[in-house]
Amino acid sequence: MKNVTKLALAASLLSSSLMAQLDLEKDELKFGFIKLTDCAPIVIAKEKGFFEEEGLQVEVIAQPNWKQLLDNVITGELDGAHMLSGQPIAATIGFGTEAHIITAYTLDLNGNGITVSNAVWEEMQFNDPTLDSPTPPHPITADALVPVVEEKLDAGEKLQMGMVFPVSTHNYEIRYWLAAAGIHPGYYTSEDKKGFTDAQVELSVTPPPQMPATLESGNISGYCVGEPWNQQAVAKGIGVPVTTNYDIWKNNPEKVFGVTAQWAEENPNTHLAVVKALIRAGKWLDETDESGTLINREEAVRILSQPNYVGADFDVIKNSMTGYFFFQQTDKREMPDFNVFFKYHSTYPWYSDGIWFLTQMRRWGQITEAKPDEWYHETAKKVYRPDVYLEAAKLLLEDGYIDEEDIPWDTDGYKPATDEFIDGITYDPKDPIGYLNSHDIGLKD
Amino acid sequence: MAESTTDKIKFRILKAIDISGFTLFDPIVRLMFGEEPNKQLERITKFIIVPILFVLLCVGVWFWMGPRHKTKSGEVPTPDVVWSSVKINDTIAEREKIKADDFLASGKDRAERLAEVQAEYSMLEGDVTEARVAVEVAEKEKAAKQKGLIDPLQENYNTKRADIRSEAKARSAMITDLAAQVAQGSASREDLLNALREDKLKGDEEKETLKLLKAEIDEVRSEKYAPLQAARAKFDSYSDRLLFLNTRLEFLEKRNLATKLDEANGQLDGYLAAFDEAPDGKAVLALAKKAVRAEDSIERLAGQNYASSVTIYTQIYRSLFTVFVGFFMAAAVAIPVGILCGLNPIFMAAMTPIISVFKPVSPVVWLLIFQIVVGAFFPDPENHPLFNFLGAIPFVKDLQVNPALVFSACTVAMCAVWPSLVNTALGVASIDKDHLNVARVLRLGFWDRLVKIVIPSALPLVFAGLRISLGVGWMVLIAAEALSSSDGLGKFVWDEYQNGSSLTFANIIMVCFVVGIIGFFLDRMMIVFQRLVSFDGAPSAV
Repeated sequence: MKNVTKLALAASLLSSSLMAQLDLEKDELKFGFIKLTDCAPIVIAKEKGFFEEEGLQVEVIAQPNWKQLLDNVITGELDGAHMLSGQPIAATIGFGTEAHIITAYTLDLNGNGITVSNAVWEEMQFNDPTLDSPTPPHPITADALVPVVEEKLDAGEKLQMGMVFPVSTHNYEIRYWLAAAGIHPGYYTSEDKKGFTDAQVELSVTPPPQMPATLESGNISGYCVGEPWNQQAVAKGIGVPVTTNYDIWKNNPEKVFGVTAQWAEENPNTHLAVVKALIRAGKWLDETDESGTLINREEAVRILSQPNYVGADFDVIKNSMTGYFFFQQTDKREMPDFNVFFKYHSTYPWYSDGIWFLTQMRRWGQITEAKPDEWYHETAKKVYRPDVYLEAAKLLLEDGYIDEEDIPWDTDGYKPATDEFIDGITYDPKDPIGYLNSHDIGLKD
Repeated sequence: MAESTTDKIKFRILKAIDISGFTLFDPIVRLMFGEEPNKQLERITKFIIVPILFVLLCVGVWFWMGPRHKTKSGEVPTPDVVWSSVKINDTIAEREKIKADDFLASGKDRAERLAEVQAEYSMLEGDVTEARVAVEVAEKEKAAKQKGLIDPLQENYNTKRADIRSEAKARSAMITDLAAQVAQGSASREDLLNALREDKLKGDEEKETLKLLKAEIDEVRSEKYAPLQAARAKFDSYSDRLLFLNTRLEFLEKRNLATKLDEANGQLDGYLAAFDEAPDGKAVLALAKKAVRAEDSIERLAGQNYASSVTIYTQIYRSLFTVFVGFFMAAAVAIPVGILCGLNPIFMAAMTPIISVFKPVSPVVWLLIFQIVVGAFFPDPENHPLFNFLGAIPFVKDLQVNPALVFSACTVAMCAVWPSLVNTALGVASIDKDHLNVARVLRLGFWDRLVKIVIPSALPLVFAGLRISLGVGWMVLIAAEALSSSDGLGKFVWDEYQNGSSLTFANIIMVCFVVGIIGFFLDRMMIVFQRLVSFDGAPSAV
């Protein structure tokens, strides 16, 4: 009899959600985010109670722009934040505000689009009649944009386009897309911090939520931004998303969860608890049924459309988050991988992701001097912290929240070489200099 | 003749109205006491009914103009849409409160709430499914209707485009021919050039035609289908409610504080009970460690509170707090400095350049400067004594004072300081010479002179200055909050702008009224103070 009660007790202990709570250094946290759908893992971890189950009370606060978000993390006003992949790297190497920022969790893959204004789209259609259809063939390269750029240059003007931050994935993606068609997006130099040197198209910074309004006012003719700001352009009829970053580089890393190195050192267990909650949120977001349909996305969209989170209309957010993407109102395409929050081992902090961003920073002159191969590897290792990620994953595996195959346990942190880019150039993370030299446009070492 | 009691009451009310600045109601009061009804009715018509009619006219114009005035980002919301956004904001605030209560509910209260929510949930689930089906049906209807309209247009467009392309091809073939002829000398150069010019003109014309046709198609496509919109709105409101109920269920069950505490206590008891069964010292130690940790987590749990998201009411409360912090900072600087300026012409001369240069500077600039200058005092805001102190005061604690609030308050102070300063200086400088002479005769010391003569006689102007300062501060605050992202009405507006949802404009217009109405009451409040300190009952502008 006694044994039975003991068994029951043991079972109740096991099922308890408090079972694996860590010895937290700090339990009230503030995380910042920008109003973009890829802040979803942080919002979901809060709203679905994953943070609470780790014993954390988290406040999630919208930030007006990427610079202020980073500054708030550095000053300690925020404990951590939804960051552009390039931000921890740039801060660590001292491009822009200098501070040692690390990341142990990649929030998502893909999720951005390039939108051009209706006027530019018409000209592109004129230049390439195949685009003049309700459902043009994808991926659309910037080739049809070349005559538009040249015409502008002849008139003594430069086409203006927008991106969200100098070290944003969006900046590198739109540059990649333009350069793949032979359009020069300009270099950064030690004096030119705007990146306009030699530019045929000038790219300027606008915070994501203001993109559609800036496009409509005519200050820019196109932009690269995350969701829902491309769908917003479709819904309002002010522009046409021509391509997504999935088409530019299949399954490219997008946002990370960043904290300062100092914070991580002072609060190791809290950091682990946060990563645990984020992994569970990522898994929840990518949960599918047998037929492969994403089952939790609609609820996620409902939560994200609350005014204190992303706040855009439910239908607009839904357009990109539930497995398809609207390029025009007539052109709805299946894109199950437009937002990846967990699949493909996407949440692991890959060194190879960091190295790609470093090569782009060098390619466009944000890193002003040539660096040896080892520097790329060392810098990536300073910023990306798979050790924390794996420890958190191990704890989750023990508790049965994730499966063995969800996590790449034995990787060296480098993804295999890939050529799934819009221009077909191969990126081998073990050979950053070789990759840098394989592009026509861009600095070479 | 002694006044009757009614007269006394009447005059008292009229005095109160006069002091509070609501002289508007004067004729109504007089009418109620039966004083010269005709005259009062005339005044009421002129100064109450006409203004009301005018306001109604403005609202009417707004109703009429709203839907007719649209950009691609949206149309101007009509008053009823703005009112619905007020209600939505109220619902959000109410839901937050309910969730917080659910989190803390325990025992019988929890069971009752749970039963209630479960009942509503199961009922609503069916409604949501129905609404979803209705949306799908409406979507199909819309698609069918649009297809009917678009298909002929698209066909027309396609044939037109094919025609134009073949024409263009023919023209370019002709031109190539002509060029060959020119080369042979059988045609004139002028002909070729003309042909090219004409081709360009034609091409532009054709482009324009196609563009127009396409615009027509786009117009049809972007037309809204009212039944679909209605179905969507219904579906959204049901689903929002369902999500809310779902969260409530979580907060009543596994995320409930009492449940979590019970669970933790059970766990602790389990560890303690297991002590007797432990085979050796090592196992006991392990259990004891676990028990201590469980105790810790219970303690932490007990102190937990529901992390509410910020609602419009907290934003208003925080904005008011910020503006008063800034206002008192401004007053604390402006009044002493103003008095010194008024008393001493040399000091005034020394201050003049500073006042003149800094007075016109924009709040935005001040905010950016304060973020660096004041920010340097809070290198580690989490552990700063000031914030720890403020975090311990009841009421203020709820506001979560942070550096962003301090920056906003400093910006408010910086912009609000000038009117008070200048007015105080003027008030002090323009004291009746007789008063000062009396002070001299009585051989009053500096402090006596200051407290008994200078300040009392300058007070009406000082308050006039403070009134302007508070108005300026309230106006500046919204911009400062928006830019520093300090929670408050300014941040609310900025967040709404960034949301870009269908309710964005309605919410922004709502804030416009909220700010206006609060500003009005703040102003009235200052008028009352001003009247109370004026001996002569000098009328102030209303």
